[in-house]
Amino acid sequence: MGYVAARGGTEAIAAAEELVRRHRLHAAAPWLELEQLTERLRYLTDRVMGEGGLWAPELAARAIRQAEGDVIEAAHLLRAHRSTLPRLCRLRAVDADGLDPLRRIVPAFREVPGPQLLGRTLDYTGRLLDLADEDRARDDAAGAAGARVEPTEFETTLAGEATDRAAEERSARFPQRLLDVLRDHDLVVERRRPDDPEPVDISSFAVRPGIGRSGVLSVMARAETGALVNLWYRNILGPDNHLHEVTLGEVRHGELPVLVTHPHTGGDVRLGVVRATEVEAIEDLNGAEEDRTRFDVGYGLVAGHNERKAIAMANLDIAVHRHGADGALEQSVLMTTDGLDASGFLEHLKLPHYVTFRSMIERKQAMRTDRARQQRTGRHNRGANENGAQR
Amino acid sequence: MPTREELAGLLATAAAAPLRHLADAVLETSPPPVLLDGPTVGTAPLHVREPVERIRFGLIDVLVTRAEIELDGHRGWAMRMGDDRASTLAAAVCDAEVQRNGPLAADVLALCELVAAEHAADRARRWAELEPTIVHFEELDA
Repeated sequence: MGYVAARGGTEAIAAAEELVRRHRLHAAAPWLELEQLTERLRYLTDRVMGEGGLWAPELAARAIRQAEGDVIEAAHLLRAHRSTLPRLCRLRAVDADGLDPLRRIVPAFREVPGPQLLGRTLDYTGRLLDLADEDRARDDAAGAAGARVEPTEFETTLAGEATDRAAEERSARFPQRLLDVLRDHDLVVERRRPDDPEPVDISSFAVRPGIGRSGVLSVMARAETGALVNLWYRNILGPDNHLHEVTLGEVRHGELPVLVTHPHTGGDVRLGVVRATEVEAIEDLNGAEEDRTRFDVGYGLVAGHNERKAIAMANLDIAVHRHGADGALEQSVLMTTDGLDASGFLEHLKLPHYVTFRSMIERKQAMRTDRARQQRTGRHNRGANENGAQR
Repeated sequence: MPTREELAGLLATAAAAPLRHLADAVLETSPPPVLLDGPTVGTAPLHVREPVERIRFGLIDVLVTRAEIELDGHRGWAMRMGDDRASTLAAAVCDAEVQRNGPLAADVLALCELVAAEHAADRARRWAELEPTIVHFEELDA
């Protein structure tokens, strides 16, 4: 068999693309509005923004709609779009302490500075599939939407009263983090650096082991959620080969301010907020070379509300630190958790591999022919030897 | 009277419709503006200082739109989150109107006051929603 160059398939590809467009546009359901995605499927849009590396709720919703709900495809569309845009400026770096919490729990301690604020969660209640009547659910939603647009006098009064309470509670809303409480009691290894290194920009430079902690944190913040959770699950064995269950310090979901420097005054302008999820993972140090009288802490911070990803990130941050910067775990974090990298390589397998597979077939056939010839030659030689021996 | 930065921040978060309406009114009463920059849609990386080593790292890029104009010799600058060229340009026009103390400067400041009040009410309403979810522990007798 020889190789024959071939072309074709353009019409079939165009027809396949048209089939996607037609069914996307003419599905047997009303057009999906962007607001429905951003307001009703918030975890989905948050995840696409986080993995796509761009905070842009409307564009994320467009990507989800275009990808027909394929999360990784949507993240891919968003990240590809980002790569076409210029970088206009650098925002002011914000301190993680400036996160205004919508939710804050501290699983490690009951009595902590500030409140245990559950926020919007079903963590402590049973979850069953809601089989409520569709029409009734739709009516309820419409009623709730109406009430939100036109607040009642009672709600307005309540909001006014809450303004005063909010002022009083401001210190409670920006509570001291558990890491600082542990520092006050000299219970945590001191890792604060006196210098202020420039962060690694993973969008401009290739990610390689030894990139430094800022690069590792950025890679995890942009990683695919499932990949990060899976990698954490595979690596919960500590250096002593016993199961390490890390205790969580802070688990917060809230808003970080987006600040930019005003070009004419040099002062800060607050453009709005980005929501983020933050986690501290407290590690009970017990390695032979470690300071067993103290704890160490891993940190996770991801865009949007994604507690699973932030918990996995915090656990992997401390695990990478304990395993050493050049270890296999850091390599796994850097090289295998990007959803676009992994799915891109996986999906290329769907492309035609006619030539490579044909060459594999020919190799196998050649080996088989060679083996048959060797067997024939072997039989011939054995026969000749046997005849010689008889003579 | 808000500072220049507060003004830019309030114009950055004002609702699109009243902002554009006001900018159109400004342009009807002013000399033609000179476009100095944009409006350009682009990204801006957000760095966060984490608490363990106190180092900065890149969390995510933020989609922003930026514009700058000159109106009657006064510069108006604006940046808003998201992809919205018209509203960002409108914010720059309103900023310039305040800088030149134009006839509609008071209207721009009134809009900003309204935006600030809405922010305060939103924060208060949100806290009123969240406050009941604070856990109050009860010590049990041994």
